[in-house]
Amino acid sequence: MGKMILYKEWLKTKGFIFGALGALVLLVFYCLLSIVKTAQLNGTETLWVLILQRDYVLVETLKYFPVALGALLAVVQYLPEISRKRLKLTLHLPYPQKKTVFAMYGYGLIVLLAFFAFISIVILIVFRHFVAGELVTRIFATVAVWFLAGIAAYLWGAAICLEPTWKMRAVLIGLLAALLLLLFISSTPEAYNRILVGLFIYVLCGQLLVFNSILRFKEGLQD
Amino acid sequence: MKTAAKIFLYISLALLAVWVLPWAWRIVTLKSYSTPFTLYSCVIHDFTRLERSDSKDLTFIDRKGNVYSDEVQPLFYGRVLNTKGALPDTLEGRPVTLALIDSMNVVFDASPKDFNRKVIPVCLLMESVPFRMELQDPEDAFVIRKEGIVLYDIKDNTVQEEKTKAFSDALASQGFVFPVAQYSGNPSHHKSYDEGYLLIDSAGNLFQLKQVNGEPYARRFTQADGIGARYVNITELSSMALMGWFTDGADNMYFLRPDGQVFRSDVKYNPAKESLLGVGDIFYYTIKVSDDDGEKFYALRADDFSLVDSMDRPYEFEKEFNLCKYIFPCRLYFTSSKETWVRPHFVDFSWIGLIVDLAAIAAIVFIRQRRKNKARK
Repeated sequence: MGKMILYKEWLKTKGFIFGALGALVLLVFYCLLSIVKTAQLNGTETLWVLILQRDYVLVETLKYFPVALGALLAVVQYLPEISRKRLKLTLHLPYPQKKTVFAMYGYGLIVLLAFFAFISIVILIVFRHFVAGELVTRIFATVAVWFLAGIAAYLWGAAICLEPTWKMRAVLIGLLAALLLLLFISSTPEAYNRILVGLFIYVLCGQLLVFNSILRFKEGLQD
Repeated sequence: MKTAAKIFLYISLALLAVWVLPWAWRIVTLKSYSTPFTLYSCVIHDFTRLERSDSKDLTFIDRKGNVYSDEVQPLFYGRVLNTKGALPDTLEGRPVTLALIDSMNVVFDASPKDFNRKVIPVCLLMESVPFRMELQDPEDAFVIRKEGIVLYDIKDNTVQEEKTKAFSDALASQGFVFPVAQYSGNPSHHKSYDEGYLLIDSAGNLFQLKQVNGEPYARRFTQADGIGARYVNITELSSMALMGWFTDGADNMYFLRPDGQVFRSDVKYNPAKESLLGVGDIFYYTIKVSDDDGEKFYALRADDFSLVDSMDRPYEFEKEFNLCKYIFPCRLYFTSSKETWVRPHFVDFSWIGLIVDLAAIAAIVFIRQRRKNKARK
């Protein structure tokens, strides 16, 4: 049954995933092109100077991609469940409810992680060629916060879509807005190093909100 | 699961409240506050603050309230006075010219943000004695690791084994003990000369490292031995009067001459918490150290950095009504002008706010319980 649920999620999201993948490839291509051109025209040393003296991480083009991906994936995956009233059917499948819900958002998280892994591998391959490992670490530590924003947008987005009442939905939207504000409040590389683990744990706790929205839906709460 | 979700939700809302609402209140009630530019005068030997008179002219006022024109600061306003033909020929018994004044005037500053940040263990390395005399963009970099440094050719991102050995040996020959505790450098060609990097080793001793004709130049400042340097900053002032400054664990400030002389001053300065502004001339350095409570001024003699005078100027804020103090038990903020880190700071703890909140929670629980009881009946 778990595999069936995953297949159902795949059917719902495959169009979006291919679209997002296409957008990512274009963005990454543009990003790499500008890096390679900078290195060719001004010398590789310019990349070092930009990272060390201008506080760039050279992949700023990708900054808002993870958060947009997370939010849109949540909408594509969960909005049809509510608008076409499929959620009731899904929850009545002969499969433990917790496992059903976990399989649904677990699928989404795996998709997000696959995208983030692709971005990470490209960064690793490209930058290892141009700059020292310490600077690649700096780029990763900065990009990790953007990935975290993507996961937060997905989990909170899922909870918002599944939430049956507008009052609670407004509260969740407020919390998500504040969390995203925090995650993008500083553009200084590695500014979040000291709270990265704490933020990661907090963002993962967002799973509780997904379950809470499902339970509230089952209780039949309405505006 | 539901209880855990509720607890998570309430904690999140509480954090949001103590973060956003006091922030909004501060923005609404924010008023600008500035203090006048203040310099030690070599003419009247007192601190003078710069203010605009009723006729919109700039005037200088000393601590006794006497008002002066810009002639009281002939070194800072040398060019203006020279244009007016009012530049004195001698000051403090020493002949002065505009060229001499220009060459000896210095300004340097530092902010806690310069020190409270993630230190990148990678340093661009310039050629200090370039072939064509003008400083060029760096072509090398050294990476600081626990056990030593590694030189990179940044044109092709390759490790330079020979240079690594040469630079490591140069530091080792001066008794450098790894790892590096703190360093300061300014690898930019927008300056008149390059002194490379000032480094503090794990034993608290102070060193200089630069590249001269492709070879390492390492120097230990023996006069700084045993001081236990904590923070260091290179200044590379165009006058070459000052190479840098450093502080020790007790926040004493020391000045470093290019010839290696170290001068202990009476300035108390904690770079991680306070801001620094130094304005110097041929005779005196005015050092301003400021924090959240006020400013402290020191006038130091330029030749040996001995204290001539000092002055405190506490900030005179009008105490604003702080509504949040009566609503919230504390205030939460994540970014500060003193650091680049994003991290939670819980400040301004208020017992009144805590009691008000606990009373509000108790009232809500009581009302809910009563409603439930009524519904049961």
